[in-house]
Amino acid sequence: MTSALLEVLLQTLISGILLGGLYALIGIGMTLIMGVMKIINLAHGELMMVAMYVAYWMFVLFHIDPYLSVLIATPLLFFLGVGIQKFLINPVLKVDSILPENQVILTVGIGMVLANLATIFFTADYRSTPVNYATSAWYLSDYWRSSPIELSLSVPWTVSFGFALFITVALWFFLTKTDAGKSIRATAQDMETALLMGVNVKLMRVVTFGIGSGLVGAAGCLFIPIYYLFPSLGGQFTLIAFVITILGGLGSTVGAILGGLILGIFESMTATYVGMGWAPVGRFAIFIACLIFLPGGVASLLRRKRLGK
Amino acid sequence: MKRLGMAVAIVFFFSLFGARAFGQELRLSIPLPLTGSEAKFGEMEKRSYEIAMQEINAKGGIKGKKVVLEFEDSQGKPEISRAIAEKLIDVKKQPVLFGDYSSSCSKAIAAVANERKIPYMVVTGAADNITQQHYNYVFRMNPSSTYYSGGLISFFQNVVKPKTIAILYESSDFGTSGAEAMVKDAQKIGMKIVMKEKYEKGAVDFKPILSKVKLERPDVIYMVSYVMDASLLMKQIKELRIDAKLFAGGAAGFAIPGFVDNAKDAANYVVTSTLWSPQVKYPGGKEFAEKYKKLYGDYPSYHGAEAYSALYVIKDILTRAKAWKPEDIRKAMGATNMETAFGPIKFQDKEGYQNQNFMDTLVLQVINGDFQTIWPQKYASAKYIYPIPAWRQRR
Repeated sequence: MTSALLEVLLQTLISGILLGGLYALIGIGMTLIMGVMKIINLAHGELMMVAMYVAYWMFVLFHIDPYLSVLIATPLLFFLGVGIQKFLINPVLKVDSILPENQVILTVGIGMVLANLATIFFTADYRSTPVNYATSAWYLSDYWRSSPIELSLSVPWTVSFGFALFITVALWFFLTKTDAGKSIRATAQDMETALLMGVNVKLMRVVTFGIGSGLVGAAGCLFIPIYYLFPSLGGQFTLIAFVITILGGLGSTVGAILGGLILGIFESMTATYVGMGWAPVGRFAIFIACLIFLPGGVASLLRRKRLGK
Repeated sequence: MKRLGMAVAIVFFFSLFGARAFGQELRLSIPLPLTGSEAKFGEMEKRSYEIAMQEINAKGGIKGKKVVLEFEDSQGKPEISRAIAEKLIDVKKQPVLFGDYSSSCSKAIAAVANERKIPYMVVTGAADNITQQHYNYVFRMNPSSTYYSGGLISFFQNVVKPKTIAILYESSDFGTSGAEAMVKDAQKIGMKIVMKEKYEKGAVDFKPILSKVKLERPDVIYMVSYVMDASLLMKQIKELRIDAKLFAGGAAGFAIPGFVDNAKDAANYVVTSTLWSPQVKYPGGKEFAEKYKKLYGDYPSYHGAEAYSALYVIKDILTRAKAWKPEDIRKAMGATNMETAFGPIKFQDKEGYQNQNFMDTLVLQVINGDFQTIWPQKYASAKYIYPIPAWRQRR
């Protein structure tokens, strides 16, 4: 009996980590934009939806595997993000308004427009890319015959997770090792000082929005083989990204990665040991707990530790 | 004075004329989710209503009046459905209401309709309690979700004889009442419920909960879900190689072609209860299915047949009603007794329900990627496949 219970625990943990990796990729894009622009991009999920449609049509029209579409959708979304920042958000930044956060409201509007355009152009039908490896999995018992427990590792989930990991690492290198990356981080830390040091802050803002959108675009391509697609799907992922951003500590990339993993594992554990209907409740319980007890998110813990040394 | 008389005559003449021109058309508005996550069903129902409208108009309309349907987008949100119902009653002065898709929306409209004493016919909302609240003005042509699984239960008793069952359901009105119904049925036929778990619609990963199901080794896994969740569930069941004796779905998501398209081979051998299928032998049922397929490229699910038949029921009621006033229409509605493409419609008060239509339900099985009617045997289009092969042996 204990081995059976262990099987459930391990299988849940595997699910949680795989899900968390994907969540992290969605969260990083929002965090990055949050860090540099100091606004929450509430059109984040809708941008992901756009990327999923790109991947979907590539699959249907040209039989391009969704994973290859990462190379197509990411640049496309990058330019979409750049366009949104340059032509919609920047002009609004200059306008004085009663509400200080009118750029945030603008992103909500952009999200609505995207979702409704998708409904008009592609109808409200559910779509998915039925790739032939959709239900393949690796089984522990296939490799270890006498294994007392059976674990399975889904092929598309694992591949998606691998891609997410790779993209995250690449982003980390970009942010820490390249000039452009350092400029983005400088802008995020202190915009005015960065400006004084000769960083082209305006350009960095545009580029950051592009990168953030590109990242969530990649996440969309990684999600479609394991999930499905419909025009109003954005909201739920915007919400997830938002929770991760808060959990990770506003604007911290490492925090967002950890936040994503924590959320993924927490949701899976809640689903198994409390009940799946409670997973969304758990998500917001963790969100509120984080706001009250750890306002700086995971990032503040990391920082505290570093200072302690 | 003469002039005034003339003016009055002219106004009178025009108002007569106007009234007559208006009288040629019967405008009926139907709330449906045309956007949002339930829009797929809303669209299917809209198309089906329109097919019925064209047929009725081709045969002279209702009492000589041309039927013109208008659709109001309820977005699948009860508060919007409620607002639409109020608009139809107050602004459009419509004497009868019918339609909308989900149980939650239908329930919202039912509450308004009953309060305002306007007859309302529920077309697809299946939650039990809609017709259990002593609403005198609310009628329902589809069976309530308790009865959805009637056919399935008889299949269990006669063929599968399961001892244990695990129930997974969506945490909506529809999912909850479907699950409650199965709990009652399971107790009735002596099945032990080893697990009963709900999930939030749109979940990405079911594996945690499914690995728990695997631990319990139930004979039957019964799921109440909409189509994409249904496909994800079966795909992930295949991934985890959970071998139950039978995988069963409670109508809705499991009974439409999209389920097989998305779940692909994981959908094989899944059985589902349903209210209607394109091969069923009700008058006009097959013709409607073929017509729909010719126009839109795919067979409709039972929701389409419900919407299509609903307009015929409304036609029947409006033809029999003494006057097109709420009270007369309600009386005519109560006396309905007719055959439709969806099956026989007769509103009855029994087993705690009021103004409820009761009918036989069918069982479908996915065999080689196609739906076949397998139960009751008198309606069967193919022999059922049972026992089903284990995942490991499927190729």
